[in-house]
Amino acid sequence: MDIFLTLVINGLSEGALIFLMASGLSIICGLMGVVNFSHGALFVWGGYTFVWIYRMTNSFVLGILAAVISVFILGIIFEKFFVNKVYGNAPAQILITLGLQIVFTDLVRLLWGATPIAVGRPAYLAGTTIIAGVTIVHYRVFLIVVGLLVALIVGYILSHSKTGMIIRAGVQRPDMVQALGINIKLYFTIVFAAGAALAGLGGALYAPLVGNVVSTAGAYNQILAFIVVVIGGLGNFVGTAKGCIFLGIMGAFVAWFAPSLAVVANVGLMAIVLAFKPEGLFGTAVKK
Amino acid sequence: MKILGRDMNKKKAISLLVLFVILLIVPKFSSYTTLSLFTRIFILSVYAMSYDILRGYTGFINLGHAIFFGGGAYIGGILFKQIKPSMPVFILAILVTILYSSIGAYLMGKISLRKGGSVLTATMITLALGEIVRNTAEKWRSVTNGSDGLTFNIPEFFQDRYLYYYIALFFLIIMAIILKKFIMSPSGRVLLAIRENEQRAEFLGFDTEKFKLISLQVAGIAGGLSGIIFGIFNRFANTELLSTNQTINALLYTLVGGTGTLYGGIVGTTIVTLFQNFLLNLRSIHPIFERWLIFSGALYVAVVLFMPKGIVGLWLHYFQNRAKKVKEALKMESNPSE
Repeated sequence: MDIFLTLVINGLSEGALIFLMASGLSIICGLMGVVNFSHGALFVWGGYTFVWIYRMTNSFVLGILAAVISVFILGIIFEKFFVNKVYGNAPAQILITLGLQIVFTDLVRLLWGATPIAVGRPAYLAGTTIIAGVTIVHYRVFLIVVGLLVALIVGYILSHSKTGMIIRAGVQRPDMVQALGINIKLYFTIVFAAGAALAGLGGALYAPLVGNVVSTAGAYNQILAFIVVVIGGLGNFVGTAKGCIFLGIMGAFVAWFAPSLAVVANVGLMAIVLAFKPEGLFGTAVKK
Repeated sequence: MKILGRDMNKKKAISLLVLFVILLIVPKFSSYTTLSLFTRIFILSVYAMSYDILRGYTGFINLGHAIFFGGGAYIGGILFKQIKPSMPVFILAILVTILYSSIGAYLMGKISLRKGGSVLTATMITLALGEIVRNTAEKWRSVTNGSDGLTFNIPEFFQDRYLYYYIALFFLIIMAIILKKFIMSPSGRVLLAIRENEQRAEFLGFDTEKFKLISLQVAGIAGGLSGIIFGIFNRFANTELLSTNQTINALLYTLVGGTGTLYGGIVGTTIVTLFQNFLLNLRSIHPIFERWLIFSGALYVAVVLFMPKGIVGLWLHYFQNRAKKVKEALKMESNPSE
């Protein structure tokens, strides 16, 4: 029983991390029909900026802030100079974001080196508590809380605010929204940058969890995010959130009971979902 | 000349013949390094062409294509190591690779090429599938030697570098003819129709999913064969050959050369490999040139943005325009009243 609870907590915290990455991917895809293959690079940039600032100032919060802001700016640059040149041309989008992924992942290696940089957790998040034989790692609980908060905030913005209304309308008919006198291009940029910032946050929070930051982490997490988005349905926010919880918990259990199958299980799950329910496990995907 | 396609005229045939003769005598005058460079280009050209069958003729972006290339290299290496480095084993390796590639391509196609699935989903799925194969190869240490890579001995016949140059050249020519034949065949024509307008092809009664699957298998087998030859050339195989980066290399070759032209793959591979070599030689000037990926990535973005048709595409465009202009000029001359 205690192992079961520990695994659930582990799974939920991993799920929260994947969610930070996948939700941005999913919203961008829903609104603009762009699958951002440079998300992994943004994730890594978030991680490295966090570690850099955190080591310099010794302030966890400052590090996180710096990561989110720098990746937000990077997102604006990506959208303004590259992605908006190729809207409506899916293969070109894939190719251009892939190219950005290569350049920016390698820039990280150039700036900070290819070897992993160790990073600790701040003192107030480092401990563990044992309740009735269940070991609870504080940092994991913190991740779950952050993931939940982000999910609630983004969900609220999307479904209750005027901005969200415009974004949802933009998903359906961008030209119509433009005709109503709303600068949809500005919203495109902001949504892209916001999605990027979420990936940056994910990268920053990921580093203390595994204890180091390395440039290959981006590609690995990007694949997990893709799997979640495919399972949850492309462009479906709630589906993505459910997919993250599902994948996170499954990953934790597989890692405990059959560690050698860890990677195979995720892709296997995706293959099964696609074979029997190609529109995603949770509702329909947005088709662009 | 019929085997090279219908659009072959005398001028083209002569220039190809001249190129062929030059390539035949190159080893007599060149150093060992140049020889290796050329051999590399020949082998990677086949890999690039195999990728073009997919990307250029069906529009399907496969980010897991390296599993065929790396798979071929590993199959050759493992068989040479486990049995013995001899010619019969080489034949066996070819057969096993063909089997592996067609089964792999079948599974990959069944999962990713779903009806109504968009190009985006297919791309994401192939990326994940490629990653799973690479991970498996890394974990399966007893056979693949993990991330350290697998070194192996090769049959005596392949050991001479000069001879191997000609083998690679021969391999390139044979594969180019076979792939061209495939594109010119009725199935190849259907692929072109799918690329131009998938819906119409479907209305004409073609099972588009089946034809895409066929092209994936042809591409997979060609990629696997180039993998074996590449593995023998290096006498080494590592998981880098299976990685997404390796796939992206193929994508870069075809993009620079021009997609959907088949020969574009050869042109692109030549240019990119020479460029890469040039940058590596600059490394003594400034260490930034060691980070070849930054430049290749930048080149890649620039090509997508400014030259989406690639070099061969631009070339054809230029000549078509010129032919049109000549025609118009002739028309003007015959009807001076206009």
